[in-house]
Parts: sequence; structure tokens; C-alpha cells
Amino acid sequence: MLTHLNAAPANPKRVVVIGAGGFVGSAIVAELGRAGVATLPLTRKEADLLAANGAEQVKAQLSPDDSVVFVSAIAPAKSVAQFMANLRMAEAATAAFAETPPAHLLYISSDAIYADEANPVTERSPVAPSTIHGMMHASRELIFRTEFHGPFVALRPTLIYGAGDPHSGYGPNRFRRQAAKGEPITIFGEGEEKRDHVAVEDVARLAVRILRHGSTGALNTVTGVATSFHDIAKLVAAQYDPPAEVKSLPRPGPRPHLLHRFFDITDCYKSFPDFHFEPLAQGLARVHRELSRV
Amino acid sequence: MTRPRIGYAGMTHLGLCSAIVAASKGFVTLGFDPDCGLVRKLEAGELPVVEPGLDDLLQEHRSRMTFSASPAQLRECDLVYVAPDVPTDNIGASDLTSVDRLLQLVLAQTRPDAIVVVLSQVPPGFTRARRQDGRLYYQVETLIFGRAVERATQPERFIVGVPDSSQPLPPALKTFLEAFGCPILPMRFESAELTKISINCCLVASVTVTNTLAELCERIGADWSEMAPALKLDRRIGTYSYLTPGLGLAGGNLERDLATVIRFSEEFGTDAGLIKAFVANSLHRKDWAIRTLHETLLWKAPQAIIGILGLAYKENTHSIKGSPSLALIQQLAPWPIRVYDPVVPASAAAHPAVTGAKSVLEAARGVDAVAIMTPWPEFRGVLCTELAAAMRGRLVLDPFRVLDPATARAAGLIYRTLGVE
Repeated sequence: MLTHLNAAPANPKRVVVIGAGGFVGSAIVAELGRAGVATLPLTRKEADLLAANGAEQVKAQLSPDDSVVFVSAIAPAKSVAQFMANLRMAEAATAAFAETPPAHLLYISSDAIYADEANPVTERSPVAPSTIHGMMHASRELIFRTEFHGPFVALRPTLIYGAGDPHSGYGPNRFRRQAAKGEPITIFGEGEEKRDHVAVEDVARLAVRILRHGSTGALNTVTGVATSFHDIAKLVAAQYDPPAEVKSLPRPGPRPHLLHRFFDITDCYKSFPDFHFEPLAQGLARVHRELSRV
Repeated sequence: MTRPRIGYAGMTHLGLCSAIVAASKGFVTLGFDPDCGLVRKLEAGELPVVEPGLDDLLQEHRSRMTFSASPAQLRECDLVYVAPDVPTDNIGASDLTSVDRLLQLVLAQTRPDAIVVVLSQVPPGFTRARRQDGRLYYQVETLIFGRAVERATQPERFIVGVPDSSQPLPPALKTFLEAFGCPILPMRFESAELTKISINCCLVASVTVTNTLAELCERIGADWSEMAPALKLDRRIGTYSYLTPGLGLAGGNLERDLATVIRFSEEFGTDAGLIKAFVANSLHRKDWAIRTLHETLLWKAPQAIIGILGLAYKENTHSIKGSPSLALIQQLAPWPIRVYDPVVPASAAAHPAVTGAKSVLEAARGVDAVAIMTPWPEFRGVLCTELAAAMRGRLVLDPFRVLDPATARAAGLIYRTLGVE
């Protein structure tokens, strides 16, 4: 459960978003704007963390009263090179924070840090990632916790969907793209694996709440409802007229060890009792409407 | 030996109940506590604890019972039990300061031939480390809140920690314990101290198995209430086993023993993975009510009003330590609540918008959901039709099945309980 340093929420003086050009970063910037929070969005153009002088570039942008959201990442990290590059980015940021410590640091991490067998996952589940991507986030959390001595919080989203998602990973975004092109939606096997999916807007809303409360600790960003890929495909397919075909493909390998993943979101209820996630069906319908208007 | 005079130091829930029961067995008994105010109240017959039958028992045997705040009175006793509360922190770790302080006072004030018995729950190694002059013993306490008189008058057995189990018990202790007519099991100090913890670990194991499978029942269409009787008829499990689903562990004593095992396992390098799983499951189930409220109501009803029935951690007690009700209330700050408990005042509920009620139906008036968080007997008499009529909404959370599920549903209530979908 999070600890709120501000019992009553209050806008921070300014929030610097490092990684503001990405899918999640831009959603957080937009939500901060809606909340009337002064924001400094930094993309690679303003602060290149992988440059030789990355730390200086970040430091040049920081003021002592800033709250910082660190969401910059090469994600998903699939190779050792990407893993190491992500760590160097965190190293540059911590060097800048050592010179100009933020008033509050929010790191956008991932639920991939948890062990596969953790079920239902809570914020107290063992951190034992089985992927390079998960280990990258776990390592970066540790780097920030160790090197930054001010108020620190990690937000750990699960699979994120939204209209602006540039990735085409297995799930709602890929299904929608397939259907939009008139192609069948393809699922592996029977698509029976159940996963939690969260709207990027909910990640951003939680991030802003955390910033306004000065929260510390860690919070999973998950809806608490796991839905099978089969059911997600059917939901997406039904948004088209005529409905898209849902086609089963042979699995490229053995069925994943992690068949289902459930989360216990009691910590979120306790941290933000009046916050509730958008149900998946509702969120997918909203995304469909947004993209249909484009 | 003639009937020994018995003393109890520390007029706590344990000390007071045990002292009154000793008097009821025909022993002249002293109830000592350094707190003069408390002793004055006891002298006036005002008992600070709620236990079925305790007031009547004291009245009946008042002539053999003396209360005093004067340590000098302890010199009259042949056998003195030391029974202060041992406070625990929020992870169940014991603070032994109070038991040490009172024990030293008792050892200093009693006669050199008097036997002193530690009755408070202490970790293994405690008694031997304090045994300086050969008259200190340890006895396992078996208090159950709400059933203290029954348990103390009809104990299943006495477990006594002694320095050498091949030696006979001191006559005063032997005479006193034999008056209860149950088996007496002397064993080395460490065994006795660990036996108490072991009993509680076995109880927690039953509770945790029940809660784990009850949660599964809630998802797959099974009903734990149908299954539990079948388990109880299995002799390896037993009629008295703890197979009623609940909201995790509460009250502090079981949690204390789990914390002690974990601490000792860390110190001595033994495996305590199972015990840690008990703790995790308890925390998980304790939040059943808040999860259910969010999933069924709060996500769609930001203006909801919640009625809470029961504040005590369980029925027939005034104790609120580890109370699931108070834990729930703590998480309901954005919503107004109405509360009623037959014993605990509404002021025990730390909430910014709490209204105390004088009855069940008053607490239910105009609320969108009722959570019956303590299974007080008087709640069982509530008519579901009246409850439904008093409420604005339909949702009833009844983890302990105080109401009959079929009757509640027939009254139009949306009924949620443990162990069934």
C-alpha cells in the first residue's frame, strides 16, 4: 500500500516527465494538463539519456522543487544490449538527480518484475522476473531506490492498451489492427490465457493522483480482472460490421507456462478508495470510437 | 496438603477469569493488580471484560475472592500465577517488559516457599532464563475470548513447564491442578512454551485451509458450508476442528505465535515457509469485505452509504484488536458509514463521517450496503424483510452467515458470504 505524504492532494509545483514522447509518457503529460499541473515534457530531443553527457542534459532541465516522472525506456527490452542501454539511461538520470534531487520521483515500472508463479499478484509478491524486460525494470527500480534518497514510488502497469499504442503486441492493439484491415483476428491455440489489461488513461490518472498525493512505495496498475485473449478477440471483433473473424492458429511453441495471471488490487482500493479502473469492454469500445473518428 | 491459597498477579482478561474460576473451585483466591483504580472497580463488582457467565460466577463465589493492589498481600499465597497482558506490535512481536516487571515484583513479594507460575504467553526459553531460585514454573494458558469461563472451568488438560519432568510437581501446584479433574502434562519448560505455539499453529493451519478452499468455492460454484460437515466426520480432522471460513486471523494471539515461529526460524535456520503463507493468507482474506464492496457496489456508486454491524473482533467480547470491522472502516473514508455494535461504542471507529446507531435496523436505515462484520448472536434475530425495508440499497455482506442465505435472497437482498459464489 502506498504512503501518502500529502494527506490532501495538491498539485506539485512542476512535473518533469522524462520520456514524454512515448505512449505512456504522452498520456501522463495530457492528464497532467487536464489537472492543471505545470509540466515540462522531455523527449529524447530535449534530454538524450544515452548521450555521453546525458546526465548533464537532464540536470540542465531540473529545478529543485520539481517532481519527476521517469517513463523513458527502450521497451520491451528483448536483448542484452537493450537491457544495458536501459540501465545506462537510469544511471544518467540518477547522476542528474544526485546534483538536483527532485522533490518526488515516480518511476513507471512493469508487472513483469514479478515471478511467473505469483498468483494472485500483489505488491508484496516476490520480485523474480523471468524476462530481460522484467529484470530491466526490477534493476531500474533498485537503482532509483538505492541512489535516490527522496520520496520514491514505482507504478507497475500490466499490459497497456490505448488508441496511441505504437506497438502491435499480442492483444487488443494487434487484434484491432487486424480487424481494421479486414483481416481475421488471430489467436494462438484457443487463446485461453487470461491476462489483465489496463487503459493507458487509467495509468495516467493514477500517476497524477500519486504525484498530487506525494505517494511513496509501489503500486500495481491493474484492473483486477483477467480476461482470456479469446474473449478479448471476440470483443474487438464485435466492434466491426460485419464482425471480424477470430481465427485460431497453432501455437508457435509449447503453451506458455504462465497460463493465467490474476492480480489482487486491494492495495489500490486502500491507496485510492475512490479510484476505479475502466472495465475492459468499456475501454475497448472507447478506443474504437476514438479511432473511428480519426 | 491442605488447600493452598492461590494468587493471580495481573487482573487482565486472563488473570481475572482464571482467578474467579479458581475461587469457584473452592480455593481462597487473591486477585492482585498494581492498578488501584482497577482494583477498586473489581471490589465493586465492575468487571472490565465481557465474558458469558463471568459476573455470575464471581457473585456466587465472592466470599473466597479478594482483590488488592497491595503487593504485601501476596505473602499469604502458596501459589501465585503471573498473568499480565503481553502486548504485541502490528506484526505480532511480543513486548515482554510487562511480564518481566510483574514477575520480578511477585518473586520479591512472595514467601520463599511459594510457587510462582508464569501464565502469560511467553516465547520458548523465557522461563528457564528467569528461574533463579527453583520455585518458578510455567503453565500454558488456554483462554478463548468469549468462552473464557467454559474453558477455564473445564480445561481439556494442563500443560505445565517444569525444570525436570521426572520430578513430582510441587504439592501446592499439584493440589490446585488436580481439583479440575483433567490430565496434567508436565514437560520441560521449552516444550511447554512451544506446545502453546504448536496448538495455535495447528488451529491456524485449519483456519487457513478453510479460508483457502472457501475462496475457491466462491469462484467455482461449490459451497463450503456443505463440505465442512463431511470433513468434520473424518476422524483425522475431527468434530471440533476450525472449519468455519473467516476474515483471516484476528485478536493478536495467533498472529503473535506465527511471528514467534518466524523469528525463531530466522534465528535457528529452520524452514518457516508454511507459517509465512499462513500470514499472507490471513492478510488476503481480511480484505474480503473491502474487495467485495468495491467489486459489487463502490465502483458504480460514489455516493453510497454503508452500514456496519459489529466492531468487536469477534462475538461476545469487547476486544477490538485486529478487528476486521475496524480494518474495513479504515478503508471506507470517502463514504459515510452507520455503525452498531452491542458492546463496542461507535467512537472506536476511526472514520470522518461515522454515525453511531442504537440497533441493527437503525444502522441499516437508508444505507446502500450492510456489512455484518461481527457475528453477534443478536444479529441472528434480525428479520431479512425488515432489513431490506430499512435499507436504500440491496447489498448485504455477511461473511459469517449470521443470516440465512436463502431467506436473505428471498427478501430481495443481494447476499454475499464466505465460501459460496
